[in-house]
Amino acid sequence: MALLEIEGLTHWFGGLRAVYNFHTRIEPGEIRGLIGPNGAGKTTIFNLVTGYYRPTEGRIVFLGRDITGKRPNEIGKLGISRTFQNLRLWTHLTALENIMLAYYGQIRYGLIGAFFNTRRRQEEEARIEVEAMDLMRMLEIETYAHRVVSGLPYGIQRKVEIARALATKPKLLLLDEPTAGMSPAEMLETMEFIQFVRERFNLTIWLIEHRMKFVMNLCNWIQVLNFGEVIAEGPPDVIRDHPDVVRAYLGEMVEI
Amino acid sequence: MSISVSSTPFRRSLRSKLQALRDVPVGSWFLGAALAVLLEWYIGPALAYALGLGQIPAIFGLSLILKKPWLIPSVLLYLVLIYGLPLAVMARLSAGLIRRLEARLSTGVYVGLHLVLLFFLLWAWSSADDYRLLVIRLLAINILATMSLNIVNGWMGEFSVSVAGFMAVGAYVSSVLMVWGFVNDDVFGPPVFPPQLAPMAFPIVLVIAGAVTAFSALAVAIPSFRTRGDYLAIITLAYVFIVRSFFENMEFIGGPRGFMNQPEVAGFPMVFFWTVFGIWVMRNYVTSILGKATNAVRDNESAAEMMTINTRAVKITAFLTHAFWAGVAGGLYAHVIGYINPATFDIRRSAEILGMLYLGGLNSITGSLLGPVLFMFLSEVLRPFQLLKWLVIPVILIYAMIRRPRGLMGFQELRIPFLERRRIAREEEKLHGAAGD
Amino acid sequence: MSQIAQQVFNALQLGSFYALIALGYSMVYSILMLFNFAHGDVFMVATYIGYFVAVGLLGLVAASMLPLPSWALFVLTLVLTMFLASFVGILVELVAYRPLRDAPRASAAITGLMVGIFMETGVLALLGASRKDFPALIPPQTFQLGPIYVTNLKILTLGMTLLLLVLLYLLIHHTKLGMAMRAMSFDYAVVPLLGIPMNTVISFTFALGSALAGAAGILYGMSYPVLDPYMGVIIGWKAFVAAILGGRGSIFGAVVGGFMLGAIEILVAATMPSTMRDLIAYSIVLLILTFRPYGLFGEEYSARLRL
Ligand SMILES: Nc1ncnc2c1ncn2[C@@H]1O[C@H](COP(=O)(O)OP(=O)(O)OP(=O)(O)O)[C@@H](O)[C@H]1O
Ligand SMILES: [Mg+2]
Repeated sequence: MALLEIEGLTHWFGGLRAVYNFHTRIEPGEIRGLIGPNGAGKTTIFNLVTGYYRPTEGRIVFLGRDITGKRPNEIGKLGISRTFQNLRLWTHLTALENIMLAYYGQIRYGLIGAFFNTRRRQEEEARIEVEAMDLMRMLEIETYAHRVVSGLPYGIQRKVEIARALATKPKLLLLDEPTAGMSPAEMLETMEFIQFVRERFNLTIWLIEHRMKFVMNLCNWIQVLNFGEVIAEGPPDVIRDHPDVVRAYLGEMVEI
Repeated sequence: MSISVSSTPFRRSLRSKLQALRDVPVGSWFLGAALAVLLEWYIGPALAYALGLGQIPAIFGLSLILKKPWLIPSVLLYLVLIYGLPLAVMARLSAGLIRRLEARLSTGVYVGLHLVLLFFLLWAWSSADDYRLLVIRLLAINILATMSLNIVNGWMGEFSVSVAGFMAVGAYVSSVLMVWGFVNDDVFGPPVFPPQLAPMAFPIVLVIAGAVTAFSALAVAIPSFRTRGDYLAIITLAYVFIVRSFFENMEFIGGPRGFMNQPEVAGFPMVFFWTVFGIWVMRNYVTSILGKATNAVRDNESAAEMMTINTRAVKITAFLTHAFWAGVAGGLYAHVIGYINPATFDIRRSAEILGMLYLGGLNSITGSLLGPVLFMFLSEVLRPFQLLKWLVIPVILIYAMIRRPRGLMGFQELRIPFLERRRIAREEEKLHGAAGD
Repeated sequence: MSQIAQQVFNALQLGSFYALIALGYSMVYSILMLFNFAHGDVFMVATYIGYFVAVGLLGLVAASMLPLPSWALFVLTLVLTMFLASFVGILVELVAYRPLRDAPRASAAITGLMVGIFMETGVLALLGASRKDFPALIPPQTFQLGPIYVTNLKILTLGMTLLLLVLLYLLIHHTKLGMAMRAMSFDYAVVPLLGIPMNTVISFTFALGSALAGAAGILYGMSYPVLDPYMGVIIGWKAFVAAILGGRGSIFGAVVGGFMLGAIEILVAATMPSTMRDLIAYSIVLLILTFRPYGLFGEEYSARLRL
């Protein structure tokens, strides 16, 4: 069974057609790429899959369940998590708190536990804290645990965001331009890091990227979006030489 | 903002003195305060008479400062002799002993013991004077209301102004229930239950009043799903007007003339208990993951939604918790004063509580305590001014807002050294524990 | 039928007050994204100013030092009051909002509320609790238009309001300051490009809003001649709600919202016990905002930020 299956996804913002008739099928274990020029509709697709927008048309099926129109937190609990193109951390909180809050969907103690600080709550939260610290250690950011995130270096904030996404225990992780604002060296590091995370957590990854080298090396299958429509798809070598892709990107393809 | 000249010798020495004061265990201060209360009890009236004050200064003589400035030296002398000296002496003498005792206590026992001590101290102190007793209960009620408002305005980052409306609902519901149940009243006839049971029933009535208030708060909580910020502020404002107008139209409970005859059930112990209990429950809430999710909604709602946080549940819970405790505060208020009318809870009261909140600081339990304390302190000093008080208080609050737009303790908490040490110890234990495996 | 026409006039009259005051809220909001919570009290102070101007001028007339017909007296009172009231607004901005320009907006809301309380108390302290009776600047008259009766005051109120709205429109669209105001409501950054200091634009906006509140005060005082220091709380908050109803920051919306609230209130008053007026009116407002969370003409903006 496919992990994620999308059929005929179309989305209009008022009079603007951001996504048109998008289809895909993602199998477990893939690293899938989504590329395209600015404004092509890539982020919109992620927003549709995570339930942030309700699609104008189309169907999204995750693990055999129709999740079209479900609320984002429910979709998150089913196992889709994501990072954001521009960091969306909770800026007044510490790194550890950011990560611990992503366990919200797994909490069992309920409001009674919250209001009366029951033993059950204490145990659950202690367990969550240990898990969150383990996550941070794995991503080598544990020294920042008690620092407020808005003061952390950009690269660390990115990692905190990934750790937060992992904390929801996803099966499918959506990464929206994970290397935005990084140097080439950092980009290589991130590439390894994504491979590592995928294996460690047994994840399927779907990522949006502008850097060709990154996408070509990492992904097994790539879809190219332009004006909301898929103009090409295939394995990296096919995409690299595809004339439509070159045309859509014009000069941008020259980059690395 | 100007960088403060923190390195002058004066400031430095002041800071080290303050640090030294911080190192005195809270228990020692309490012992000192206990001694002060005892002193006041036995020699206070005589001393006050001797100093020409007539009677013991109700609230540290604050209101005398402006009314009879020539009494200031006497007041100061009284304060030094009755309060200052015992505090200083006890803090000095008992610090070592208390510190050794503390070390043996578990954190829970430590907190419990201090609360019990605080209760008896405040009770004893305020029992010396009726006016004190009134002010301290009103202070506690304001603290409860402010803390509850802080959940929505501070932790969740909305701007709700409905606190007066919530208090009104709580006040009316509890008053009607108590009068109907336990008082021989013109409207409700003879009491339904034996009046002696009133004090025991009051907590139940308060819970019912809080629950009804919380239910009515759905009127603002549900719109909050779809709108934030200014529009939600307006909805909360409309709520205040609706509630006020609603009770004005309830002729059978007095309409605009108000409602009285509440039984005397809100003594100091009752008010103290509910305030402490309320703060404890709300503290538990905002420190839990479920409660901290309000912070996530505030800082970035869309990210919260996608990180599995049920933002609707969070908003409902925050608003209903606010409403519940504001309703309880209103119920206590009605029974402390013994009379309410719809105008008691107009938008002006919301403005007052908002003033206390923003003075004390958002997203801070300490701020929710500090704001009302300072506000009432101010209000006490300015009491002789009567009406003009309301010229001075706004000016002071405006000044405070300009100097510290986030309030005095915004996004900070007071750290009690003992608890802080325990917390650090726990953290370290955790680190070692984790390194062990 | 004539009953209905009568009530329409009443609604238009009440709506005029709300619209004129609501404009002050909306204009400030459109440039600063901030509700001037003191505006209701600005209206109150402006009405008192109008009272003193009117009494003063009438005194001069009585002493035959100012030989003016009553209509000229009215115009003079109106203009003078608007002029003086504008300074109240400028002052409020200077004290309560300018120092907090970069602070969290909630803090500015608190200072606004506090300035409001200050003004209420100030007036109360200066003038005492006794209510003031607004003098009749124009002798009341009743006209008969077919089957309905209208007072000259109603017509005057409505006419003046329409005139002021037209003037406001011209001001905003055809003067440099007005254009700077509009530009600022789109984008802060462009204002310096127009060669006008931002603070001037802001002060101008506050002045304009308060002047309109001043006009509302005169018209209100003539129709309901009893003034008290808390009138700003009652009328002001309602006008505020009207501004929101129209849509935050929308000038057109403020006018429509004002007239709509007037209509709702008159409708409720005509069909139900008068004490129910606020209850029903605010409940309707709450319902409207629940189903149209961004008002009638306001646009959704913050709730769903782009990702
Ligand atoms: N909330 C919205 N309302 C209206 N239009 C929107 C909204 N979100 C996106 N759009 C528009 O939809 C189109 C697709 O936007 P999207 O953010 O999906 O592009 P993208 O492929 O992620 O681009 P980029 O590479 O710049 O991130 C753009 O034209 C954008 O302006
Ligand atoms: Mg994008």
